[in-house]
Amino acid sequence: MMKVTLRNLCKYFQQIKAVDGLNLEIAAGEFLALLGPSGCGKTTTLLTIAGFYKPDQGEIYFDEQLVNDLPPRLRNIGMVFQSYALYPHMNVLDNIAFPLKLQKVPKSEWKARAIEIAKLLEIADLLDRKPGQLSGGQQQRVALARALVRNPKLLLLDEPLSNLDAKLRIFMRAELKRLQKELGITTIFVTHDQIEAMTMADRIVVLREGRLQQVGTPDELYDSPANVFVASFIGTPPMNLLDAEIEVGKGDYRVKTSHFSFSLPKEIVAKIKYIPSHGVVLGIRPEDLIIGEGNIRGLVYVVEPLGRDELVTLEAGDMRLKALVPSRLRIGLNDKIEFSFSVERVHLFDKETGKSLYKEA
Amino acid sequence: MTKKTGAAFPYVLLVLVAAPFITMYVGFFLRAFGEGPQLGIFPERFGLSNFSFLWEPITWGLAETTIWVALANTILFASVSGAVVTVVCMLAGYAVSRIEFKGKNTFLVLQLFLHAVPGQILLIAIFFLLYYLHLLHKIPGIALARASLEIPLGVWMTKGFFDAIPWDVERAAMIDGCTRLQVWYKIFLPLVKPGVAAVFIWGFLFAWHDFIYVYTLLPGTAKLMSTLIQSLLATEVIDYGYLAAMSLLYMLPPLTLFVLLQRALLKVPIFGGKGI
Repeated sequence: MMKVTLRNLCKYFQQIKAVDGLNLEIAAGEFLALLGPSGCGKTTTLLTIAGFYKPDQGEIYFDEQLVNDLPPRLRNIGMVFQSYALYPHMNVLDNIAFPLKLQKVPKSEWKARAIEIAKLLEIADLLDRKPGQLSGGQQQRVALARALVRNPKLLLLDEPLSNLDAKLRIFMRAELKRLQKELGITTIFVTHDQIEAMTMADRIVVLREGRLQQVGTPDELYDSPANVFVASFIGTPPMNLLDAEIEVGKGDYRVKTSHFSFSLPKEIVAKIKYIPSHGVVLGIRPEDLIIGEGNIRGLVYVVEPLGRDELVTLEAGDMRLKALVPSRLRIGLNDKIEFSFSVERVHLFDKETGKSLYKEA
Repeated sequence: MTKKTGAAFPYVLLVLVAAPFITMYVGFFLRAFGEGPQLGIFPERFGLSNFSFLWEPITWGLAETTIWVALANTILFASVSGAVVTVVCMLAGYAVSRIEFKGKNTFLVLQLFLHAVPGQILLIAIFFLLYYLHLLHKIPGIALARASLEIPLGVWMTKGFFDAIPWDVERAAMIDGCTRLQVWYKIFLPLVKPGVAAVFIWGFLFAWHDFIYVYTLLPGTAKLMSTLIQSLLATEVIDYGYLAAMSLLYMLPPLTLFVLLQRALLKVPIFGGKGI
């Protein structure tokens, strides 16, 4: 197990700052997700950790060793690529054993170790097939076996699930998580899919345009997003974000939107750092909306059944809000309804900077 | 009716254009296997007497040689040339495809420019170069010079093969513990195998039918097929049957190679050969 430290990591491509001043500590044995939309610098970060890109500034440490100038082959890492990148001219056994053969491990040993890891990943019956004869899921297991066979100190996964079909992806999510915990290898995992990051990772790093937005456990990111970007990126369906203003009265903080207003409960007021003069963004998670009771009037715009729940889009004034409600409500299109929300669970952000108004926990 | 005439027109035109060439080829085959006087392109009778060079010595100036010596020399010349083109291009092609270095684009443009320079212009310079390197009048030396003419385009060709290999495959190999050179021969060469074959054949063929380099730089010391056939033309009485038969033999190896490996060769743009 190995600790990885990034200190002020910067990587530029001409004028574009792909990674801009990233500071991160990845604990030994941790499963960390780098999450962000495409072009946010997550893959660049991964490739820089792997040693394919040289940082323009900053340092990468594996435990206490500075590895900026160490070529990838000497870093003792395993990596699974989005395309799996198996060697098409070798069969599965040779693919898995390739890193061992390069280390000049004797044949009896590399064979035994490759078969052992193949058994662990349940691909032992495919050993003499060529990659072209395998399904996507099997190829991914082979790629994983090849990455794990030489007991790397660090495992890097670049969108490893994005080429699998939906059912297999959900299955592999759990498998990968279990495997990582069993082997205890420090793992960095790149994804643009927040559900993947939420379900698998111990901690998530949210990146945007090369800059760190927030680091935290899935719960921390969900419950206390640091800014509007994280708030809108984490959670399905995404958080409702509405323009609002805060009016300070006698011991009373009122949040006013164009269609409704409400008083902030004391526990929220206590968390607020400051009140911006130029307005705020009010965030309400869809599951915090309560339909059928309350004093806000609205119209049902569309209903999307999800099985257990229904996703209802409400029109209230010039706003549209999404609500996640139990299916049995049986609401129809264009129904006039009343609704409210859990005021103690709202989020507030500075409209100009996008940053949360709440003090950090 | 008019529609049919219209549809037939391109075929008529193509047949008219092709007719002289087809006639020449048919005549060439008939001549090689014909004996006695000719009636137009048709010989009086057929036989194998034109192929007497296969079992009889051939006069070469004041000396004598056999077809087998010439054939062996030509194979040596073309193989060395093909091998040099293959090794140099496969290495250089990998470098320009995958490694960033200063002046890479200039280098690539220069290669195209070099390719545009006719090989004959370089003859005198190459003559002196080989002379000082003590390679003049030696088949491997001339093969080296011949290979250098195909390398510029070959580098572009092999760059194309390597460009088609995904970066992830190379990265995976480097993570697995490969040095750059190991990536090249353990992963990339096996993946571009048809390309390796194609580049070799391409280098082989251009050397095989080369005349001017062989004629200028190997004067009389080593007999190759192209210079042997030229010597038959340079006599006062030309035996066309004999010439056709020997030319047929000269055509056979490249033709066989091409038929056997045409699928690999189709991946290579065989354009703009030096044609010398």
